[in-house]
Amino acid sequence: MKINPVYEKEIVSIILYTSVFFIILAVVLIVFFYFSRKKIIQKELEKKDLEIQHQRAQLRAVIITQEEERKRIAQDLHDDISSKLNIVSLNSHLLKTPNLSLAETNEITNNIIELTAKALGNTRRIAHDLLPPVLDKFGLHAGVEELCAEFNSSKAVNVSYQNNITFNEADKEKHLHVFRILQELMNNSVRHGKATEIKLIFDEVDGVNRCKYTDNGLGFDMEDPKNQNGLGMKNIESRVDFLNGSLAIVSAKNQGIDVLIHF
Amino acid sequence: MYYPLVNIGYIILFISLVLFIKGYANKGKAYVIFTWYLGLVFSVQIISNILMRFRVHNLFLSHIYFIGQFVLLSFFYQNLLKEKRQKKIVTICLITGLLAIGIQYAVDPMVFYKFNMFEIFVTSFLVIIYAVMHLYNMLNDKKEYYYINIGILSYLAGSTILFFVGNLTAELSPKISLLTWTLNAFLLIIYYLLIVYDWNKSFSKKKLN
Repeated sequence: MKINPVYEKEIVSIILYTSVFFIILAVVLIVFFYFSRKKIIQKELEKKDLEIQHQRAQLRAVIITQEEERKRIAQDLHDDISSKLNIVSLNSHLLKTPNLSLAETNEITNNIIELTAKALGNTRRIAHDLLPPVLDKFGLHAGVEELCAEFNSSKAVNVSYQNNITFNEADKEKHLHVFRILQELMNNSVRHGKATEIKLIFDEVDGVNRCKYTDNGLGFDMEDPKNQNGLGMKNIESRVDFLNGSLAIVSAKNQGIDVLIHF
Repeated sequence: MYYPLVNIGYIILFISLVLFIKGYANKGKAYVIFTWYLGLVFSVQIISNILMRFRVHNLFLSHIYFIGQFVLLSFFYQNLLKEKRQKKIVTICLITGLLAIGIQYAVDPMVFYKFNMFEIFVTSFLVIIYAVMHLYNMLNDKKEYYYINIGILSYLAGSTILFFVGNLTAELSPKISLLTWTLNAFLLIIYYLLIVYDWNKSFSKKKLN
């Protein structure tokens, strides 16, 4: 095939320009890819940093709660048990005094018996507060039932509880977290929310356990950061984290609170 | 096939020009520059069409088109890009690009009478670089002129090679040469549609508020 030399020059330059154009296009693409990757990685790092910060805050909350719990236990022990045992000890010493009449001995003994009984009751109450034996022995359902009954007996609030799940004994540890979350929620509802109605429903949706908690209390402003970073909230979040579950809270001022936990 | 496509292109271009002029007020500098760009493209199209009807040589208009597009889009992206370094890159590209083309014309004035491949090449790939920089900025920023940017990028990447072949097709039989220009007209329609779409998406709603 014979080609006109004018065309030849034209064609060659076209080919050259085209190939250079494509090479530059490719370089631009590669540079774009390189910088985009960098940017994405940086974004991811920022995200991870945020996550770490969040975890730190949770850890702090856990430690603070632990300390507070210890303080509370120490106070309980000191106020309710030590003081009573002290008087028991005093009374026992009194028994040693010579020439006691029968009536006096009786009175002192009665005192001792009464105080020991009270101390015993208090010990039981403290132990019960720390870990309800019903929860330990009979599982989550019984534990929550008892918890509801306790709140109901205070007359300030009416708790309705409905359970459509049979809990697995093997997940006892998980259930303790669920129980603690509910305890915290109920305490908050009564103490901060001044709720008079609490509804609690357990059911299973697509193989995932779901806990639905609602109250008619004061609720709170979700936008306020003060409410997002409270110790109780952080605690609930960490526990849901432990459960590998998800937590959704919806609330507004004077609208009560809606909590949905999947676990 | 060719002439209807070209006419559709004219109509869409005219619509986008009207839309951009209609919302001219308070949209920022980039908007104003882009409106001027649309005005330039539209006038070049119309004038070349008129010249063609009077059988006057109209290829010199291509230089106005390419260089005008390059300059206006450089300013457009300079206003759009946020980082100082990127603005600097645009300025440097604009100056060196114009300088290089100027030198070429000084050395070989004859290129004025045909498609100047070097000019097409320089103006296209520099604008492509701006467009990619803007795309990079939009990775995590809000989308500004997103569809226009996509349109510029795809039209330039597609049409540049068609213009390279321009001189050659002038020598070929009109039937075959029209094929490349039909493709170009098709690409233009997509480009103009993206401009109208972008206007509709970014600017028509704001007007209501």
